This record gives sequence, C-alpha cells and structure tokens, in this order.
Amino acid sequence: MNQRTVETSVSTKPYTHAPDIKIRTLWRIGTIAGNAFREAVRDRVLYNLVLFVLLLTAGAIFLGELSGGQEAKIIVDLGLSATLLFGVFIAIFVGVGLVHKEIERRTIYAILSKPIGRGEFLLGKYLGLCLTLLVNIFVMGAGVSLALLYVKRGWNPLVFSIWPAILLIYMELAILTAVALFFSSFSSPALSALLTFFIFIAGHFSADLKTFASSLGGTTARWFFTALYYLLPNFSNYSLITPAAHGQVPNLSMMILALLYAAIYASVVLAAGTLIFNRRNFK
Amino acid sequence: MTGPHTSKTIATVTNRGRTAVLAFVILFGAAGIVSVARWIDAHRQMPDKESVQEDLYLQGPTAKRLSIAFNGLAADWYWMRALQYVGRKALHFQDTHPGQLSLNDLGNLNLHVLPPLLRVSTNLDPQFMAPYEYGAMILPTFNNDEAIALLTYGIEQNPDQWQLYQHLGYVYWQRKDYQKSGELYATGGNLSGAPGWMSEMGARMLAEGGSVGAARQMYQHLYEESNDDQVKQLLLRRLLQVDSFEQRDVIRRVLSDYSARLHRCPASWRDVTAALRASRLPIDPNSSAPLDPGGTAYVLVKDGCDVDLDPRSQVPYR
Repeated sequence: MNQRTVETSVSTKPYTHAPDIKIRTLWRIGTIAGNAFREAVRDRVLYNLVLFVLLLTAGAIFLGELSGGQEAKIIVDLGLSATLLFGVFIAIFVGVGLVHKEIERRTIYAILSKPIGRGEFLLGKYLGLCLTLLVNIFVMGAGVSLALLYVKRGWNPLVFSIWPAILLIYMELAILTAVALFFSSFSSPALSALLTFFIFIAGHFSADLKTFASSLGGTTARWFFTALYYLLPNFSNYSLITPAAHGQVPNLSMMILALLYAAIYASVVLAAGTLIFNRRNFK
Repeated sequence: MTGPHTSKTIATVTNRGRTAVLAFVILFGAAGIVSVARWIDAHRQMPDKESVQEDLYLQGPTAKRLSIAFNGLAADWYWMRALQYVGRKALHFQDTHPGQLSLNDLGNLNLHVLPPLLRVSTNLDPQFMAPYEYGAMILPTFNNDEAIALLTYGIEQNPDQWQLYQHLGYVYWQRKDYQKSGELYATGGNLSGAPGWMSEMGARMLAEGGSVGAARQMYQHLYEESNDDQVKQLLLRRLLQVDSFEQRDVIRRVLSDYSARLHRCPASWRDVTAALRASRLPIDPNSSAPLDPGGTAYVLVKDGCDVDLDPRSQVPYR
C-alpha cells in the first residue's frame, strides 16, 4: 500500500464511520484547514519570523544608545507594530491566493467533486490561515517578551501585560483574513489584495466616519456615512499597541466585546463570500 | 563529427563560460559601484549643515492620522529624532566653538526644531512621558513658553500624572514665578499616587521659592524620579551648582571676616586656609585653595576680595 492510499484511507474514515453529520462537517473543515496550514508552511510563510527576529535583535541591541532610557516602550511599539504589519501582509497576500491557487491549478475540481460544500471549503481555508497567523503571532509575541527581558536585564511587567494587545492584533487579522477571502471569492488576486489593503486602511479611520456623519447636515449623507461606518470593520477597537507600551491592559469586558465583534464580522463576511462562491462557475 | 557526447560537452563549456561572465560582471560591477560612490562622495559639494532647512512638514494631528495603528512607533521615531537632533547640534557647536558648550544654556545651539519634534511626539502618543520630561529640562534653557505649552498639553492629556505638575512647577520656578510654581506642586501633590514631598514643595515654594534649600530639594527629587541618563546628568550638575552656591557663601563670609580684621583682602588662599578648614570646606593640599563640588579649585577675584568658579570647573556658571 503506497503513501497516497494510506492518506486516502485515513481521511475517508470519518465519512464512513462517524454517525453525526455535524462531526463529519467539522472533520472536513478541519482537514481543509490543516492542509491550508501545511501549504502555508510549505510556502515558507513562516520565514517572515526570521526577519522579525532580526528586527527585534537589532532593536534590542541599538535602542539602548538611541532611545534615552525608553528601550522597553520602543521594543513593545516596534515589536507589536511589526507583528501587526507582518500579519497584515500574510493575511492579505496569502489570504487572496488561497482560493485562486486551487482554481489556477484546477485542484478545486478534485476537491469539490468530493462531498465537500463550497462553504466548508472556504471556512476550512479561512481557519487554516487563522492557524498560520496564530502560530506566527504567538512566536512574535514570545519574541517581544524575550526582547523585553533582554533590554531590561531582568523581569519587566510588560512581558505579560502586552499579551492582551497581541490577542487583539490577532482578532484584527482574523477579520482581515475573512475580508481577503471574501474578495478572492469573486475577484482576481491583485484586485483582492488592493481592496483588502484599502479595507485595512479604511477600517482604522472608520471611527472618524461616525463623527463625520454626525457633523453632517443632510439626512441622506448622514445615513450614508453612518451605514459606511457599520459596514467597514472598526479596527480602532483593536489598536491598543500604544497603551500596551505604557503597561495598560484593556478590561475583560472590552476584550470579550472585541472578540464577539470579530467573530460576528468574520462570520458575516465569510457567509457573504460563500454566497458568492456558491454561484461561481469554474468552467 | 558531433555526437550526443560532444554536444553535452559543448553545453557544459558554454554554461561554465556564462557563469564565469556573470561572476565577472557581479565582482567587477560591485567594485565599480564602490569606486564610483567613493568618487562622488569625494567630489560632491556638501551643503552647509546649518543652512539646510530643518523645519518639520507634518503637524502632530496630521502625523497621528497618517500613522494609522502605528502612532506609538511614530512617536518613538520623533522622540529619537529629537535626541539625535540635540546631539548633532551639540557636536557641531563643539566642533565650531571648542570648550564653549554649556549643557545648562543651549540657546547657542539654535534648537528651533526641538519644540515641534517634542510636540509631534506627544501628539502621536500623549501618554509618552519622556518627551515632557526632556522638554521641561531642555526647553527652558532657550524658550520657556514652549516648555510651558508642552507641559500644559501634557497635563490636559494626563491629568492624573503628578510628575507633569512637578515639571511644570520647575519651569515656573525657573521663571521665578514662585506663586504659580507652588500652586502646581500643591495641585500635583493632591493627586493619588503623588509622594508627600510634592505638597511640602508646594508650601516651600510659596514661603521661600528663591532659596538655595528649595532649589536643592527640587533638583534632588527631579533627579530621583528621572530615568533618562542625560536628564540625570543635567540635574547632577544643577545639584553641584547649588552646593557651590552654598560653599561660595561660606567662603565669602571667611573673606569678609579676614578683611574686617586686617583691613585688606587676602593675597592668596594660604592666608585664609585655617578659617576655610574650620568651615569644613575641602582644601587642595598643594595650593590651599578650597575645592568646588566638582573637585576644581575656586579662584580669588577682585584683588582677593571675592571668590569665583574656575573656568575649567564642571559646575555650571549660570
């Protein structure tokens, strides 16, 4: 029995024996997610960690000379900003390629000919990339914590207090990944990347839209900008890098609400993506 | 006769030749880049550093908007730029005016970009305390109003930070506005987490704002609270100055007693060594001159009737 046969027999086992349809669905999504993660690792996406480590090491060594005693704050700002920026690039450039690559290589025919729904396929891809980002962000967060221990030559409360901000960065990236998959479900990779990047920028200004809307006189314009505010993801809820550098930790209720918002927003965007993807003709 | 073997050999030779040509281009090209860059560096007319326009193009609120989620990092960037700016100006001044740089009077450095740099840094991250502290120490040496504006903004943004009241109180003290300084110390002292000496300082400022004792207490607390080595150095020199003021008062008393007894001023330090020793002042064993807190001997001036710092002294003159 060759390797391929073994893999097939293992992967089909749940279809034949699992009695519960929900478990079977979860299994299929999990399989696709696992494959998406393996593909990202094989594509050397995690190599960005090397660059990140170099950046932090250089920062930790040279900041002592340049920062006037503010090494810890600058390490947190630098480390978490790099975490967000690298995460955004991964979410956008890997996210928009996930579906497109399957179509280009025509492997999507083989996948969708099996008992896998298009929604399951999209959700699996999404979770796979979220897992990649989780590994990436966890390693980066650990790197920032280690760099803090190095620059302060010992214990610093920031080593722990930055983690809620890291979790919020992850939630922001989870939303952005859903947006990237949404665009890639009907558009070309280049356009999807551009639109997702636009959403990332606009999402950081969306809080201003609400203020702008309330300052407008005309009802239609006010409604338009208010609608736009609710339509765009409000990333300002997740931008707590600067307070984290001052040792401030967001309260638990805020974290829970941010998590809830991210979960609902990503679900809505993925549902919309699935709706479009279901109607897409691959011929 | 050309068989498959011969074709393969020709292809191998061609590949090797191509590799050699590419390696040659890379190697000599790199050497060429270095040579040309060195030639340009040697022959280019460098603009005068002082004449280069140094204004900031971005205002704080605009910079904050453009920085998206990276405002903290941008604030750090402006902060480090401010430190580099002062350092670069100081080095340039030392090159052009050897031995004339005084850290306590930076007016000669023409630091006109420093206030906007600190302003942008604090606009980007209003909770970033280092620029406020640095501004409180450096800006008053050439522009009190900028220091007050920066710290007032800091208090607006962080009304619970007692250190900002301490710094603003220090700026007003330098302006000899002891009333305002005392009020600020008292207000800061009422905040939660403020140490008890803040309220004490408030009362002392109102009662004896111009005294040497009040100055020493203030510098001592600023020194203890600061994390910035450069600021600490500055405050240490101020503490030396306060000590020196007290020493000079003692020396003047000794000189005055001597001239009252002998109706003339001493010709050298040796004439008053015993009295100086009795006043517990450190004495240079060779010249018998009293030593300032930095370890440099004081000098007699006005025909021996008064004392002054040696120009080589580490103690700030003003």
